[in-house]
Amino acid sequence: MTKITVISREGDRSEIEATTGVSVMEALRDSGIDELLALCGGCCSCATCHVRVDPAFYGKLPAMTDDENDLLDSSDHRTPHSRLSCQIVVTDALEGLEVEIAPED
Amino acid sequence: MATNLEESLRTKAARPDNVPADRVYDIDMYALDGIEEGYHEAWKKVQRPGMPDLIWTPFTGGHWIATNGETVKEVYSDPSRFSSEVIFLPKEAGEKYQMVPTRMDPPEHTPYRKTLDKSLNLGRIRKVEAKVREVAAELIDKFAAKGECDFAAEYAGIFPVHVFMALADLPLEDVPLLSVFARQMTRPEGNTPEEMAADLEAGNDGFYAYVDPIIRARTGGSGEDLITQMVNTEINGKPIDHDKAQGLISLLLLGGLDTVVNFLSFFMIHLSKHPEVVAELRSDPLVLMRGVEEMFRRFPVVSEARMVAKDLEYDGVTLKRGDMILLPTALHGLDETLNPEPWKLDLGRRGISHSTFGGGPHRCAGMHLARMEVIVTLEEWLKRIPEFSLKPGANPTYHSGIVAAVENVPLVWDAKG
Repeated sequence: MTKITVISREGDRSEIEATTGVSVMEALRDSGIDELLALCGGCCSCATCHVRVDPAFYGKLPAMTDDENDLLDSSDHRTPHSRLSCQIVVTDALEGLEVEIAPED
Repeated sequence: MATNLEESLRTKAARPDNVPADRVYDIDMYALDGIEEGYHEAWKKVQRPGMPDLIWTPFTGGHWIATNGETVKEVYSDPSRFSSEVIFLPKEAGEKYQMVPTRMDPPEHTPYRKTLDKSLNLGRIRKVEAKVREVAAELIDKFAAKGECDFAAEYAGIFPVHVFMALADLPLEDVPLLSVFARQMTRPEGNTPEEMAADLEAGNDGFYAYVDPIIRARTGGSGEDLITQMVNTEINGKPIDHDKAQGLISLLLLGGLDTVVNFLSFFMIHLSKHPEVVAELRSDPLVLMRGVEEMFRRFPVVSEARMVAKDLEYDGVTLKRGDMILLPTALHGLDETLNPEPWKLDLGRRGISHSTFGGGPHRCAGMHLARMEVIVTLEEWLKRIPEFSLKPGANPTYHSGIVAAVENVPLVWDAKG
């Protein structure tokens, strides 16, 4: 299990335990964080699981595909630390990861 | 009987030297074996254990077919080997297809795609949701009290089209004409590649002539509609060329008029036979919203192609530059090696894998609109018609082609409920 801190759109912080090997999107969804709609379920086609990652962890994440980059590009809320959480697999190296749910487009 | 006669008239191409005899299968994408039973069922017969990744058919001018999900996905995702120079089959017809930017490869493609994305991204689509919901509610209210409807004719064939015409600010009375052009392009008629090319070209020319005065009128305009936004865009710092704008706006019409239309009927037929899934959809708004992706997986409707960009080896065969590869997206969503129990519509499915929106640089620009249209349809429908079934004795009619179609979908429900 890996500890992840989630910051909601209202700024509330919560801590969840994520199973190694699942995506951060699934971990958030499974812990009942419904404001992350994640409509496409991880197909990288809907852009509704957009999060901003703690800069300290950003470099440890898997590289971005063109699909993910294009989807993020179409968001008004993209920052240099934006990712789609369905594209981040939970690993031990991400212990203590902090993600903020991006505003809705 | 007419069908058999038609089939027997369909021409077959000679097998080229680079196609091994054991890769040849008689598969006519416009008249699939077993299509009476269903479009997805008919395609799935092609996906048998031991089938090579690529097979070749002499029908429709002669072309390869990707037979599984991994292959469909790989071909979509690599424009350096599999070009969009021609994307519709037969190739003779595909060469007449002038829509923009679907026949371009990166980097030429990129600025046109950015233009599409700017107008069709998630944020823009969210802004029109209320309007879309209004169209859906109005249509369903027309027949909800009757206890029955032909879903294909009275809802699916109208809803996405009305939504689209509203977004593009076009008059509804133009719909029948545009629907004819769309059919000519996605299911061109004819027994030879040349006859089919002529039908497709007529559809393409029809779209071009239709959009020509509209583009001229809206150039320099300040309207909020999709067409005004797109024709006033810049491509590489210069105003978009008129012929490119014709192709771009025509593509928008084609994409908006034929795909969601058919997809809606396919999943409603399924839901009409599976009340337990309908109950699950009603149980929780999030289950419904998140369940729509599984419907996209289960009911893909598009089969377009890619052209081999250079001579290359793939799956143990030599592909020649110019060879065409058909990508039936049905064979990705229904591939059990990627989606266990593929026939089951499982709203809680994890790890969904599909190419229903294509893939790679040309992935459907309208996917956010499509997803929202499906969610809104289900929400508004179930509010008014919580339980429904297929009318006893009903026999939906299926058609295969670049976009699959289904007609005759009579649904019944208890109007007093």
